Amino acid sequence: MKIIECAGLTKIYGRKKALDQMTFSIEENKITGLIGRNGAGKTTLLKILAGFMKETSGEIKVFSERPFNSLNVSANSVFVDDQMAFPQAIPLGEILEVARDFYPNWDHSFALRLFDYFSFDPKDYHKRLSKGKTSTFNMIIGLASHAPLTLFDEPTTGMDASVRKDFYRVLLKDYIAYPRTMILSSHHLDEMEDLLEDVLLIKNGKKHMHMPISDLKEWAIGIKGPATVVLDLINGRDVIYKNEIGIKTLYAVVKNDLSQSVLNQVQVAGLEISSVRSSDLCVYLNNDTKGGIDDVFN
Amino acid sequence: MSLTNTNMAETVKKQFCFKLKANIDSFSSLVFIQLLAVVFSSFSGVATSGMSSEDIQINVNYYSADLVIPFTFIWAFTTAITITTRPYRNHDFTFISNRLSSSLSNILFLAAATILGSITALLAGNLLKLMMYFRLESLVFSGTTSLKEVLIGIFVTFLYVFLFSAVGYFVGTLVQLNKLFSVLIPVLFFSSLFFGSFILGFSFLTDLFQFYGEETVLSIFIMKTLVTVAVFFIASTSIWNQLEVRR
Repeated sequence: MKIIECAGLTKIYGRKKALDQMTFSIEENKITGLIGRNGAGKTTLLKILAGFMKETSGEIKVFSERPFNSLNVSANSVFVDDQMAFPQAIPLGEILEVARDFYPNWDHSFALRLFDYFSFDPKDYHKRLSKGKTSTFNMIIGLASHAPLTLFDEPTTGMDASVRKDFYRVLLKDYIAYPRTMILSSHHLDEMEDLLEDVLLIKNGKKHMHMPISDLKEWAIGIKGPATVVLDLINGRDVIYKNEIGIKTLYAVVKNDLSQSVLNQVQVAGLEISSVRSSDLCVYLNNDTKGGIDDVFN
Repeated sequence: MSLTNTNMAETVKKQFCFKLKANIDSFSSLVFIQLLAVVFSSFSGVATSGMSSEDIQINVNYYSADLVIPFTFIWAFTTAITITTRPYRNHDFTFISNRLSSSLSNILFLAAATILGSITALLAGNLLKLMMYFRLESLVFSGTTSLKEVLIGIFVTFLYVFLFSAVGYFVGTLVQLNKLFSVLIPVLFFSSLFFGSFILGFSFLTDLFQFYGEETVLSIFIMKTLVTVAVFFIASTSIWNQLEVRR
């Protein structure tokens, strides 16, 4: 079953197109990573999915309903980011109880165990938490609500390395126990790689790529060797990334569609072939220029 | 994971209970502002009269807690504006809500707060009597009111206070629609206060005051206020129904 269906989804703020003709669908019970640069439209997309914002044009269906103003979408989804608003008058312990009253699938004992583990004080207030603690608390709400559609917008903002690790682990374990559709947007793809099933890559408000992470891992290859030989080989191909390493040595990333004869040629020439880590590949794909920041100096 | 169907009434009920808890500060400000009004009332009487003969001189000071009521109006107006502001709107969307349920629960909350405010406003007179009893060394006489009068008083106060909260809610919603209104509305209000009668030949606010404030037939008064309140709330709800949640 498809949980999310988008067709030609466009969102315009004033003169800027935040989302431009996005068309994709997401299957039930999959964890999808939403990857993109700052300002690529990740948050806008998630907010439209959660029903916070209205699409400018195009069609969007969540649980076969238009999310804007849908009570059913709200009841079956949770949107977590570091801006989540909680009333100042209610202490953390009671916020969990409020969440229990609202969310139909809320797992209170799980919430309390996480609350204890991350040593929150039930009498403390949300406003007084540090950045990392805020993200951790919001994450507890997001996980314990067991919402059929769970949206995390950069959930690890401000978390230290060990909390991030705990978060990925608890997310995976809870997902296995209660499978549900999740979308995580994050900059830390390398940390989440093992968690994700699909990757949705967006660039300048457009869908760039949407594929299983296993395919992404084999989607490109890296070739390293003497610059002249490598340049000769990649000539005419779509080069995803190119970087000079030392003198006259070139590292280039191209799409993994080299024929057997070309591969043989590569081996004869003594070039190094390597797979490209998906996190690196995402960075390369997202860059507008082929050489990255180094181009600034050229 | 299976989907859950929610119904509107259930959600509004939950949100209403949540708001009673989340907006507890508005009740403490109610207590504060009414106490302030009672203290002000106790300083000066509303009227004095006196008579004297050769041997006796009688001075009568009249005190009244009426001031509590306009103070409660101000409280209702600001409370209503407060709950339209962005953080308060966003609280709903942290949990389960759509714009209609958010509006309905806000209106219910304002109604509940208004009922409480009207009851305490009417009872404030007793507090004033008590204070005067301790403060004045002279005799304190107080007018008696029948239960029926008190109940009608509470009801009429409720309608007035609710009217103010409906106006405040509408003003707050307009400001959320466009920040320009936060300048425009005060400018319009004060300019009509000062220049209305010069330019238009009549004072808009005086007419309004007469329309709502000087109605002597209870049933017509109820009609007037309830219709006005409904118009403001419906307008606010339909505006908010189109707004986006940006946190």
